[in-house]
Amino acid sequence: MQFDFFTWLAGIPDWIYGILQWIYHLIMGIFFWAWGVIEWLWASVFAPESFMFLFRAVLFPGLIFVVLTLIWAVWFTRKLWGRIQDRRGPVHMGKYGGLQLFADAIKLIAKENIIPDNAKRWMFRFLPGLLLVVVLLPFCFIPWDFDYWFIADLSVSLVLVFAFLTAVPVVALLAGWVSGSKYSLIGGFRAANNQFAAEIPMIISSVGPAILAGSLSLMGIAQAQTSVWFAVLLPINLATFLVAAIASVGIFPFDAPVADSEIIFGWRTEFTGIYFTLTYFAEFAEQMLYSALIVALFLGGPVGLPFLPGAVNFIIKFIITFFFFVLVSSSFQRLRQDQIVHYCWKYLLPLALLNVVIAMLAIVYLPGIAALLPLGGP
Amino acid sequence: MSPDILDEAMEIWFGPQHVSAHGWATKLTLVGDYVVECDPNAGYFHRSAEKVLEYKNFRQGSLVLERMCMLEAFLAEYPYVAAVEKIAELEVPERAKIMRTIMMEMSRLHSIQFWWGQFNAELGFFTMALWPWVDREYSLDAFEELTGSRHTVSYSTPGGVKYDFTDKVLKQLDRAIKRFEDRLPKFRDMQMGSPTFRARTKGIGQYTVKQGLKWGLSGPPIKACGVPMDLRKDAPDPNLAYNMCDWEVPITENPDHPGESDALDRMEQRFKEAETSVQIIKQLLPQLPEGPIIDPKARAKANRLPEGEAYARVEGTRGITSLWLKTQDKAQTAYRAKIRGPCIASYYALKDLVPGAKFADFIVIFGSLDPYPGWWDR
Amino acid sequence: MGFFSVLGDIYQILKHTFRQVFMRPFTYFFPFEDRIYPERTRGRHIHVRKNCTACAQCVRACPVVAIRIDKEDKMYEKDAALYFDYTRCIFCGLCVEACRFDALFHTPVVDLSEGDRDDLVYGPDKITTLDRDPLEWRGRRFR
Repeated sequence: MQFDFFTWLAGIPDWIYGILQWIYHLIMGIFFWAWGVIEWLWASVFAPESFMFLFRAVLFPGLIFVVLTLIWAVWFTRKLWGRIQDRRGPVHMGKYGGLQLFADAIKLIAKENIIPDNAKRWMFRFLPGLLLVVVLLPFCFIPWDFDYWFIADLSVSLVLVFAFLTAVPVVALLAGWVSGSKYSLIGGFRAANNQFAAEIPMIISSVGPAILAGSLSLMGIAQAQTSVWFAVLLPINLATFLVAAIASVGIFPFDAPVADSEIIFGWRTEFTGIYFTLTYFAEFAEQMLYSALIVALFLGGPVGLPFLPGAVNFIIKFIITFFFFVLVSSSFQRLRQDQIVHYCWKYLLPLALLNVVIAMLAIVYLPGIAALLPLGGP
Repeated sequence: MSPDILDEAMEIWFGPQHVSAHGWATKLTLVGDYVVECDPNAGYFHRSAEKVLEYKNFRQGSLVLERMCMLEAFLAEYPYVAAVEKIAELEVPERAKIMRTIMMEMSRLHSIQFWWGQFNAELGFFTMALWPWVDREYSLDAFEELTGSRHTVSYSTPGGVKYDFTDKVLKQLDRAIKRFEDRLPKFRDMQMGSPTFRARTKGIGQYTVKQGLKWGLSGPPIKACGVPMDLRKDAPDPNLAYNMCDWEVPITENPDHPGESDALDRMEQRFKEAETSVQIIKQLLPQLPEGPIIDPKARAKANRLPEGEAYARVEGTRGITSLWLKTQDKAQTAYRAKIRGPCIASYYALKDLVPGAKFADFIVIFGSLDPYPGWWDR
Repeated sequence: MGFFSVLGDIYQILKHTFRQVFMRPFTYFFPFEDRIYPERTRGRHIHVRKNCTACAQCVRACPVVAIRIDKEDKMYEKDAALYFDYTRCIFCGLCVEACRFDALFHTPVVDLSEGDRDDLVYGPDKITTLDRDPLEWRGRRFR
């Protein structure tokens, strides 16, 4: 093939044009792609519907609100415990020690993370975060209000919440296992034992509201209580749920998993710094979640004083329930782990069943009660 | 037991860096949740008190003794003082006798209140841990008003006592006793009425009188079996005023298991001990005569002691506390001092008492015997 | 019936704890509030050099050898300088008891903590006076 210099020379403009076009298309392609992304974002985030959903999911009944409530709950617990024990509780940071938890968190996060030699390193790092996520996720099903100020309403949300909560002791057991310490291991098994004892009475207690409301959704159960709270029909179930919830969280008097005079801090012994902070927060988040569940299942959810917004009603009842959590958890000696199973299965379980049966009989033979429920009277 | 079981045993060191093991370490061998072998180890709190006593003169010696157990400082320093008085043949004024007895009983009350709180803290009930400690502050205020120090009082001295009662001291003593009596019914509700406490302590660490005497136990652990073994009554010290008042040796007899005691009985026994102490103090306070509080020649006589040996003992809070002292002629310091603390017996009793118990009950058994590490490492 | 009496016990306990919530707490804000210490409080010592006769009885009485005497350092006719080592002192009161000339006393000052270990050895300039710089923390003064 002969090389023709002049043809080659004439071809250069075409070649340059081709390159320019290639660059142009490249830039335009990127531009339109970015434009598309922006449009999609605009449509999904800033369109009124989607924006408000995100607002709810992230801000008000969602993540930020729950985390702020969590911080408040820790402060409230410590302050109340202090008062019950003739102390003042935190006082130095901020007004009435309100900023104490921020100070604690900053201190704990700034500390060195010590991972024991025997620990399985990656699981040891991963589990505390997983625990907090698992505990925080069910908050999206809590019916803070009947219309608008809730995040998600699923037809089986009650079941889903319990499914999430069952994962908590598994994480605790794993954490005890991977820590590589005997105390942690015993604590992990005790955590699993606690859940084994408390899960069934708790679920049976929540069967009562579910049957009376004819729904497995937390929203549906809360809506069914507009005329009468289930606490009136199922008072024993309320008590059994409270006790089983405390046992399931593993705070005093059911704190065998983290019994500090027996096994140093149970499955949390080896956690330091940020890992400890996460597990510590997860414990309080779990208490809060159970308080919210009690309000939704038994205390009418957002139903309450008519001139207040539903969410405010819910939060007032939530605070009262949480107060009872703290009160009960600071009034008794720790039970042994076999006694926990003994009490939960021999007393809580029959009592929970008994109340469900009584309520059902009452509905059948007392038409006035059935008329108050969505089931309708005869 | 067959060796196969021990193959799967887990060894756990309870201490010396355990949260509730302060100055002691016990090796536990666990099979499942049961302790099969318990190996108490002394020596983690060793302060070579007996050797130190050979280098201190007779006024300084009681300072060492009161640091053996700061919770019962008035009682702990007494055996040394009594032994010196026996060798030097010192007369104690009447007023000093009664003042000594009152303060020793206050010390017993305060020590029991401290143990009470600590036992509840070990059982995971911090409310009931801090409430008796608040009452204990009142006793400590009285000690401080009298001697100028809250724990290491250095009150008794050969030939009498160092500080005289003032009106303020008497007021503080009344205040402490009144506080104790006011809060007693409430505490009975909280403690003996608590179902979780009964569940944790009933039938735990049960032993017969015969076993207890074989181990060398004394004081409340034996009196809880229903045996009125009390030095205050059995061998009244001429330098103390126990025979000047009317009181009964407190014993606890449980009709369910006569001649045996469990942790619940020992708690009941501590209640009765505290009540008896208050009873004695209330009877002795009006009997205070006027007069000197120290033998004027005591200072010169205690400077150099004649050759001799003496054995002095006192019924402490935790059992019989005794001291054997040998001096050489015109010596300024003791030739040899031998201390017998009450807790070495109760600590090594764990070796026979714990095997067969559950791991979670170990701390209950330990706490109910009330061993203080200062008494076994001398 | 046993079950119902247990419920009654639980109710009693919850009642006691519930009442406690609304009671005034027992504790106080320590660095800012402080109680009044009794007259006899065995805190740090004060040495009155005017009365001192350099008899060294306090040095002999001390069970932990916390006192050092310097007889050369005279301010008056026959006094001596005392050095108190508060890393060793056990506040037993024997030195004050041994002093027959009213030259050594305990004071109700009990917060002696220092940042530096050497500051706890109180020389003649510190042991003869109660003056000291007040401690400031977060804008507030205490002690």
